[in-house]
Amino acid sequence: MAYIRFEQINKKFGTNHVLKDIDLTVEKGQLVTLLGPSGCGKSTLLRCLAGLEQVTSGHIFLDGEEITEVVPRQRGIGMVFQQYSLFPNMNVRENVAYGLKLKKLPKKEIEEKVEHMLGVVGLSDKIGHYPSQLSGGQQQRVALARAMVTAPKVLLLDEPLSAIDALLRKQLQIEIRRIQQQLGITTIFVTHDQDEAMVMSDMIHLFHDGRIEQSGTPEQIYTQPATKFAATFIGNYNLPACADFNEAFGTALPYQDLAIRPEIVRLSKDLAADREGLHTAEGIVTGHISHGSLIRYEVTIGKLHLNADVVFGKHISFTEGDKVVVSVPAELIVGL
Amino acid sequence: MKRGKLSAKIVITLVVVWLLIPLAATIVYSLFEDWTGIVPHGFTLANYKAIFTNPQFLTAMYQTVLICIIPILITIAVVLLALFVVTVYFPRLEKYVQILCMIPYTIQGVILSVSILILYARNKSFLSGRMVMLIGAYCIIILPHIYNGIRNAMRAINMKMLLEAAEMLGESKISAFFKVIVPNIITGITVSSLLAVGLLFGDYVIIRNLSSSNVTNMQVFLYQTMKRSSTESSAVFVVIMLVTFAITAVVLTMQSRSTMEKIRNEGK
Repeated sequence: MAYIRFEQINKKFGTNHVLKDIDLTVEKGQLVTLLGPSGCGKSTLLRCLAGLEQVTSGHIFLDGEEITEVVPRQRGIGMVFQQYSLFPNMNVRENVAYGLKLKKLPKKEIEEKVEHMLGVVGLSDKIGHYPSQLSGGQQQRVALARAMVTAPKVLLLDEPLSAIDALLRKQLQIEIRRIQQQLGITTIFVTHDQDEAMVMSDMIHLFHDGRIEQSGTPEQIYTQPATKFAATFIGNYNLPACADFNEAFGTALPYQDLAIRPEIVRLSKDLAADREGLHTAEGIVTGHISHGSLIRYEVTIGKLHLNADVVFGKHISFTEGDKVVVSVPAELIVGL
Repeated sequence: MKRGKLSAKIVITLVVVWLLIPLAATIVYSLFEDWTGIVPHGFTLANYKAIFTNPQFLTAMYQTVLICIIPILITIAVVLLALFVVTVYFPRLEKYVQILCMIPYTIQGVILSVSILILYARNKSFLSGRMVMLIGAYCIIILPHIYNGIRNAMRAINMKMLLEAAEMLGESKISAFFKVIVPNIITGITVSSLLAVGLLFGDYVIIRNLSSSNVTNMQVFLYQTMKRSSTESSAVFVVIMLVTFAITAVVLTMQSRSTMEKIRNEGK
């Protein structure tokens, strides 16, 4: 039985229908990501689970009990917000202890739990600091400790890393994942960053226009996008019309469109001897962009334009105007 | 750069001197028997002795402080609760609350006091009490100042999110408001309260119209003293200034002490 269950959730703000018939389940101990562009309804669903928004229709179940009408403070859910939400008048110790004091735990137990949780997030030395004396990353780690110290049934993370710079963000992604796995806490993470979702999730639910576009593991979502939107959002897929591809490669694939990952498109100067399982055609390089470890080549084959990602070795292998052999593994092409 | 700093210092010094001249002149005038020529003569503390031994002065001082504090506390409580309800439950009503709170800016003291008298003087309930009418009128006068101070302080923090964060930790909304929001807007409350103290200390019109001779504040006492002795009235004025400064200093010291305490605790 699923630990969290959303049944036919609808949410309207006036005439704006934000969530449309959402059915979704989360298993205990998983880190599930709600991924999608701004305004797709992912944060609203999270807030409905937290009780900060009321659903227009539908039911929410947590650990076998319906919580649709339960007030937020009685749901046993912890939450970290997008913006820094530490109480400015309280230091780190007081912030983290806040929820424990409300539970009326003995003072000594509160002290122990606060110190333990600050150790988990690596901020034991900041226990007496005020939020204004902490960096953005440190503030979010304290917020994480504050949300987790009460041992909530579920932890909700509403784009907690969006205000943090790129390098620290990557470190925190790994750190949050480590802490989540260490404590085994069921976590729902909201983000619009597909890389973040890939790094952190057991399961991804891709949202689009108030509906779930696709659900699956990060690998499934990445390698098998179900729709054009999923392919566009989740990666840098080539999305050629199938007819153009058939014409360029002399194939007869029976789809409307195709989704081809740029990293599976291979470029070579000569036709390979072993071409089994590959669609091949001759193309012309029309441009290249450096992405650090990768070089993205733009190749034209008649009417068809494809991007090909090649690991950056010693030097740029092809320049504009070069004739190249383009090979695409047949089994990795996704028909849409 | 240095020249710019120097000229700024000169300008500030001139402004400060310009503002302090009347106060300094009043202090000097209150400390001498006569100042009709260029130089005052006859140094004396008799004016201060006279007012501090006058029981009417002490009554006026006590009543002034009382009729300052009560309206300020009432108005702060009302505005805080109104802003809590508006922010949490009815955000769309905020503009109407703002309009309501701004109306007293347009009402002059004479009009307000006469209107209150017409409305409530013949009322047989507790509202016809002079003190009640006076406190009510003062609440109206200081309402826009208190409202602006508190609202601006609330805008400086993300009140909605802090309330939600506290709620997620198991707090009720109203409790979170007083435990989390109010301590974070205490500076705004303090500043607006001090502004209100300044306004109410300086009132003459409303108290004369509403309380008649039942309640006397410092301004009324000052007026009565002026009819008797100009040097003594200068001494009263100086005392009013010192009391106002003292109230401001006490409040600001309390505030900075709590900040210092926080900083000291930082290392613990």
